Amino acid sequence: MKKLVVLVLMLALVTVSTTLVFAGGQEEGGSDQPIKLGGVWPLSDITGEQGSKAAQQAVDEINAAGGVLGRQLELIILDSEFKPEKGAAAIERLATVENVDVFLGGMASSVHLGQIPILKKYKKLTVWTGAASHLAENAIGGDADWYFHLHPWDYQQGGSYVDGWEDIIGKYSDIKVDKWFLAYEEGPFGSASFESSKVLFSDMGDFDGESFKSAAAGGGDYKAVLQHAKESNPDIFLWAGYGADALPLLQQSKAIGFEPALYVGAPPGWPADFGSSSLAEDVFLYGMWAPAMNDINPVSKKFYDGFVEKFNVIPATYFAPLSYSAVYLIKEAIERAGSLDTEALITAMEQSKYKSALGETITFKPSKVIKHQGIEGQKILQWQNGRQEIIWPFEFSTGTPVYPFPGWENR
Amino acid sequence: MKISPKIVIFLIIILLSIAFPFFAGPYQQSIAKNVIIYMILALSWNMLLKTGQISFGLAGFFGIGAYASVLLSLKLGIPPILTIVLGGIVTSLVASAMGMIILRLRAMYFAITTLALGEIFRVIIHNVPNFAGGAHGLILPGVIFDGNGLYTYWLFLGAALFSIGLSYYFDKSKIHLALTAIRDNETTAKVRGIDIFKYLLIVFTITAGMQGIAGGLYAQSFGFVTPESSFSGDFILLPIAMALLGGIYTTAGPVVGAIVLGVISEYLKLYIPYGHLIVYGLIIVIVILFMPNGIIGALYVKIDGRKTFGKVDQPNE
Repeated sequence: MKKLVVLVLMLALVTVSTTLVFAGGQEEGGSDQPIKLGGVWPLSDITGEQGSKAAQQAVDEINAAGGVLGRQLELIILDSEFKPEKGAAAIERLATVENVDVFLGGMASSVHLGQIPILKKYKKLTVWTGAASHLAENAIGGDADWYFHLHPWDYQQGGSYVDGWEDIIGKYSDIKVDKWFLAYEEGPFGSASFESSKVLFSDMGDFDGESFKSAAAGGGDYKAVLQHAKESNPDIFLWAGYGADALPLLQQSKAIGFEPALYVGAPPGWPADFGSSSLAEDVFLYGMWAPAMNDINPVSKKFYDGFVEKFNVIPATYFAPLSYSAVYLIKEAIERAGSLDTEALITAMEQSKYKSALGETITFKPSKVIKHQGIEGQKILQWQNGRQEIIWPFEFSTGTPVYPFPGWENR
Repeated sequence: MKISPKIVIFLIIILLSIAFPFFAGPYQQSIAKNVIIYMILALSWNMLLKTGQISFGLAGFFGIGAYASVLLSLKLGIPPILTIVLGGIVTSLVASAMGMIILRLRAMYFAITTLALGEIFRVIIHNVPNFAGGAHGLILPGVIFDGNGLYTYWLFLGAALFSIGLSYYFDKSKIHLALTAIRDNETTAKVRGIDIFKYLLIVFTITAGMQGIAGGLYAQSFGFVTPESSFSGDFILLPIAMALLGGIYTTAGPVVGAIVLGVISEYLKLYIPYGHLIVYGLIIVIVILFMPNGIIGALYVKIDGRKTFGKVDQPNE
């Protein structure tokens, strides 16, 4: 009996403390209260860590300049932990405990799939920076006028790569791309890249590919797929995986002497010190932004300098300027709307024409399913002398391609 | 008729749990649902552990239940609640077929094989894109009860109470004696006429069914399945950590472990957004180091003045 009493007391304690601890008791925002933005990112990953920090940087800049509608902005950051259930609970907390006015974030399609039913429940203005899977687009559906998606969907990314390589081949006649090989991580991100690329690049020559287990998912041995790629002798070798795969792939390529004429990587984020490795030199990559953008875009320079000053680290993922842009898009929309009324905010967001740190002027157009899609493509870049140069689109170009890939000697 | 105080206390706990949504908001309910998912997994893992077998097949059976539930909804239009139950049954059937082969293995060999099974299920799902959505997974047109948090919470609570009841029944019934005998000394148990394979198969099948039901609940409440999220290693490591932290070999241990770790996890991330996972991991390591019998074990030792708790000297709840 004594045992049971202790157990019951303990359970009761946990229940009460849970309720009290998580109650929060946030009051509704009056005119003297800050405007609340609720952000959810995977904070243990560089994309989420730097994305959330860049969003905070934007909030601090806006507040330093006087805020919005005479009110300060407040960003509440929660960790999705890369888990759908945690990401969904975070949205619940932001909506019901923190009473945020706007949702923003995030990263990873599977996490977003778990969040979508909750987002649909509250229908608050949502500006999302990640989740590229078309499955997430289908789950959002065509009726969600409160939903604004910044990152290109997987099929849009694929389309932009086709456009990019066609333009590059057209401009640089010595570059030949007739035979493709795509090594892809076996998860949704890599598999989607392979399936869409196979269709999209079908008019541009032979296309072959093979999956590997990403180091991020406990893998890390790429020798078999690299050996098959070497035997295939492609003009262009692409890999679609995660940042953790970047250096091991290059090391193992060097180990087996695999030296394709074009070596292209397409992770969502690169390791922070990747450029300092001699193996990185002349590797192409897909991305939406690079510090080289600072040379041609004052918004990018402002973002970059501010980020380095505030956090004493270089932004190494395009999710940082993307999140920074999301906050400014929201700020401008609130100013245009003149209130926090969701309908007014949606109308104001639809009028967005924001010159972003990513180069593009962000506007919203319908994609295949949703009403409000922002950026529609990625960029093609190349590691040169330790930094990412933008090769394509040519309007943002900061360098010319080094071709062919010089191989591994003396590296 | 005299009602036992134990029953009164349990009834109060159940009533409080049922009433929880009336004094807690959607966020707290959401945390409670997450805790319940892991609680069911921790309980089921602990039930099999009582036979002496360590299984790492939780994620595999969780994923099968999740996929079975979603596929039954999408392909046959079966109502979500029914698909959750059927998902559990499908998982049990798969487990019993697998059990015929792998339950002849013991210790490390059994553990590694169950781990591999989960990976095999995931790879199979990956490679049937037309049937199961492949790497992209599948989405449902809507979530269970159209997202009504109250009904969803009660459904989860029902599953939790069913699991607790099942685990409690195993502790109280003759099966408990057979399982303990198998764990303590398999040869002696065999000599005494206990059909070891039969009991192992029963427990393996039932616990896999519980894991399948947890998978179905998860899939139907979030409205999707993907190979990576449905067969995630989180569904192995966290439930085991919860059972160890709460105290193995008891029903209360995994329940307490799931609640404590589930709440701590959320609490920490509110105050240490960029480093909570490190602190969380440290807490698990420290508690297990200093309380090897788990929270419940430590309580028993404290209350009864025992010096040991566990395999030999354990309570008969």
